[in-house]
Amino acid sequence: MSTDDITRETRIAAPPQRVWDVITRPEHVGRWFGDAGADIDLRPGGAMRLTWSEHGTALGRVEQVQPITLFSFRWTGERDTEPAPGNATLVEFHVHPDGDGTRLVVTESGFADLDKDRAAQESHREDNVGGWSHEMNDLVEYLEKLTV
Amino acid sequence: MTAAGAGEVLAALADPTRRQLLDRLATHGAASATVLAKEFPVSRQAVVQHLAVLDAAGLVGPSRHGREVRYGLHPDRLKATAAWLTALAGRWEDRLAAIAEIAESEPT
Repeated sequence: MSTDDITRETRIAAPPQRVWDVITRPEHVGRWFGDAGADIDLRPGGAMRLTWSEHGTALGRVEQVQPITLFSFRWTGERDTEPAPGNATLVEFHVHPDGDGTRLVVTESGFADLDKDRAAQESHREDNVGGWSHEMNDLVEYLEKLTV
Repeated sequence: MTAAGAGEVLAALADPTRRQLLDRLATHGAASATVLAKEFPVSRQAVVQHLAVLDAAGLVGPSRHGREVRYGLHPDRLKATAAWLTALAGRWEDRLAAIAEIAESEPT
């Protein structure tokens, strides 16, 4: 269950196949995600490595590959750490044809599961029935309203 | 704020009763578990448990007023979480812009 997410989208003046290549091919991903290269084993369960020249390497794991419409992976911002429950978020890219271009939607979710204290996490999960389905904007608005 | 810290806050916020408790404390100020239990359709024990989760996440804190312990909102952690989420969304906007630039500038 996703209890929170951030969604952003953009329109790109390039065909979906081109956009698909840019979001899945290591030579491109190493530029827009990391800045010092990437390795991607492009199949479900495949390993990902994202490298930054100043911040080291982040690891991910491919979840879904549906050319040329859906690419998703889990990754952790903790450097040199394998993604696992409690440290990783899910990133999903949806590629939609849009006239002669492409609409690209990205969603990152699972932030509420980023919790090093597993015992606390379990106790949270038990009473998480209501869920948090608000989009990030709603959540920020809510947090800001509370703190006025 | 660290990702784990923000995660703890978001997990605490995932429960609708806890969000309502925060709303209540933000709107009407600090209150004891006994007072809150009268305003909410849950037991005092449940309120105490929810307050403990919110306290552990740094979102509320107890203060003693005579024999009474009142819980009040601690806005700093909420503000930090909002800023963390905004920064995170900003990074995705930057990444989408970089993807667009690569896709549009270098033909296949």
